[in-house]
Amino acid sequence: MSIASTAQFICFAALSITLVVGALGVVLLPNIVYSAFLLGGVFLSVAGLYLLLNASFVAAAQVLVYVGAVNVLILFAIMLVNKKENLAAIPGLALRRVLSGAVCAGLFALLLRVDLTTSWALPGPEPLGDEATLRIGEHLFSDYLLPFELASVLLLMSMIGAIVLARRDVLVSDVITGEPVDQGLIEKERIPLLLDRSALESSLLEKTP
Amino acid sequence: MTLIGAYAVVAPTITSLQLNAGAIAPEMAVLIALLACLVVDLAGEGVASRWVPPICYAGLLSALVLLALQWDAPLEPSFLGSFLADNLAVAFRAVVAGSTLLSLLISWRYVESSGTPVGEYAAILLAATLGAMFLCGSTDLISIFISLETLSVSSYLLSGYMKRDARSAEAALKYLLVGSAAAAVFLYGASLLYGLTGGGTGLDAVALALKTSETPVTALALVFVLATVAFKIAAVPFHQWTPDVYEGSPTPVVAFLSVGSKAAGFALALRLLVGCFDSFETQWKLLFTVLAILSMTLGNVVALAQTSMKRMLAYSSIGQAGFVMIGLVCGTEDGFSAMVLYMAAYLFMNLGAFACIILFSLRTGSDRISDYAGLYQKDPLITLGLSLCLLSLGGIPPMLGFFGKIYLFFAGWADHQYLLVVVGLITSVVSIYYYISVIKMMVVKEPQEASDAVKSYPDITWSVAGMPSLRTALVACVLITAVGGVLSNPLFNWASATVAGTPMLQRAIASALPVALG
Repeated sequence: MSIASTAQFICFAALSITLVVGALGVVLLPNIVYSAFLLGGVFLSVAGLYLLLNASFVAAAQVLVYVGAVNVLILFAIMLVNKKENLAAIPGLALRRVLSGAVCAGLFALLLRVDLTTSWALPGPEPLGDEATLRIGEHLFSDYLLPFELASVLLLMSMIGAIVLARRDVLVSDVITGEPVDQGLIEKERIPLLLDRSALESSLLEKTP
Repeated sequence: MTLIGAYAVVAPTITSLQLNAGAIAPEMAVLIALLACLVVDLAGEGVASRWVPPICYAGLLSALVLLALQWDAPLEPSFLGSFLADNLAVAFRAVVAGSTLLSLLISWRYVESSGTPVGEYAAILLAATLGAMFLCGSTDLISIFISLETLSVSSYLLSGYMKRDARSAEAALKYLLVGSAAAAVFLYGASLLYGLTGGGTGLDAVALALKTSETPVTALALVFVLATVAFKIAAVPFHQWTPDVYEGSPTPVVAFLSVGSKAAGFALALRLLVGCFDSFETQWKLLFTVLAILSMTLGNVVALAQTSMKRMLAYSSIGQAGFVMIGLVCGTEDGFSAMVLYMAAYLFMNLGAFACIILFSLRTGSDRISDYAGLYQKDPLITLGLSLCLLSLGGIPPMLGFFGKIYLFFAGWADHQYLLVVVGLITSVVSIYYYISVIKMMVVKEPQEASDAVKSYPDITWSVAGMPSLRTALVACVLITAVGGVLSNPLFNWASATVAGTPMLQRAIASALPVALG
């Protein structure tokens, strides 16, 4: 084994161990901030694996998009809403954990079996190295033109949707009839018949001055 | 090295390839309408509520006209194999566009009176339509994934559109979580398929690779892809999101989800399973038989116990998807055309029923089945329309739904799917029970037995903006449902022409034929 392949193997082993341990930590740790930071570690090790595969552009995109944007956003969201809350204990939690653990173990065994019984075409195609960027660009403007353009509609719509959900200025009256509105479903939950209606209506009136 | 060599040969010819961008002209019309809605919306809510509806009608109607022009056009794969406008794609895109048009017609008043912005609502719904239409014709794993995501993300946004209502927010969150998991599973399956082809994402390449690889990888990929399809068409056991999402979403959105989104899901199922996994026919047909039986049984039996109209229609739509799956499992000429025919019939009868329940909830603010008691005294139009549509959904003879259902059962019987047909017949009878009990609630009750909602029923007016379009959609759907059954010959011809003009389905039928004879 040459020095190059030994170094490559050691890098691969280190990255894989970080990846697996980090991913387990993301799922198993009770503190969500630790999970979020570990998720950043997982994304970085995946980027490292891409580098080992000679796909430097994908690795750079992975770091920029996942670590730089997605993970930071997750952390921001956690920090903004991170308040201590004593959640009610879920009944039968141990049983649920055992069941979901069994499902995951079953899926893992299935994937392992598939992995071991498949005759993989090794070694795969020669990596393109730095030429990969050119190839990606060519694909985006030839055979993947349609999904590339459609992705712009997808992004536009996500942006508009995010604004619609987040914005605060809301209509208080129907534009056409001028009746008061509440931005809820038209089908109201029914007022229980046993409740005194007049008391309820007066309390509703107090709430909406 | 071989890849690089091939690339060097291909590279000079890239510039001379034909895009055939005309195939997506209908989608362009929808996209232009979407952008126009957004621009008009900048001018304020009053202007938007005046101009957005005509823009949407223009966009969707021109999309339908452009689709009609594509019918039986010579087939050329467009966008270098990303999209194919065969008759199957045209038919399902027409169903999707039609469902959006009808859902928009019935939604203006609902959206206005809930006080949510109309322009964005229409734009997001048009984006969902765009995604669903592309999904019907995509022939490439990447295109399928992106259009699936466009449809899904827009659907999540729409189901959470009434954001001040906890039920709507809950529906959106549930849909988002379950839908993202399904998308991830699809991506995993697609990555396995990509690996099998050795670097190609076109469905042709995938089909070719699947023929030669007999490894468990393909079975795994099949299960993953099938799970996504089953999620999209809400087949049991991938249906858990359906009742909650249908109950919490704004009703016009439910109308779109139950028809448009489901039609796109069936088109995807045909493209992937019939077009791609044809070498694993016995396996996926077995899986779909199980899914169909479970959907028909659970959907129709649980619907019996519902007290909310929207929830009942959610379970009934699960059952209806089970019926359509019979056609998919058959894989014969009749089976495929019965699927197409039933989707078209389902479009009209389901949207007609939704138009009626939206009108009722606009007037009373309720969707409880018990609140419909004695409605025939106060509102004959809703009573008549809802009765006809529900009878058609149940499959009572002179209606359109009866002919659709009988064609499905006939196709199943001819293909020796006796178990499916028998389960279908029994569950149809069950479904007739709960459809009829709604009709009984409306018609049989005496005036003094009427519910509070009906006793305090407002005077019927159609003068408010948005109500005339609702009435138009309601009357059109009910008319087609009622008369379409008797005059269904054009629909039958259309459905068979769809199958005849789709090379992919013809290949599947031809390959199935020797087995059926022998």
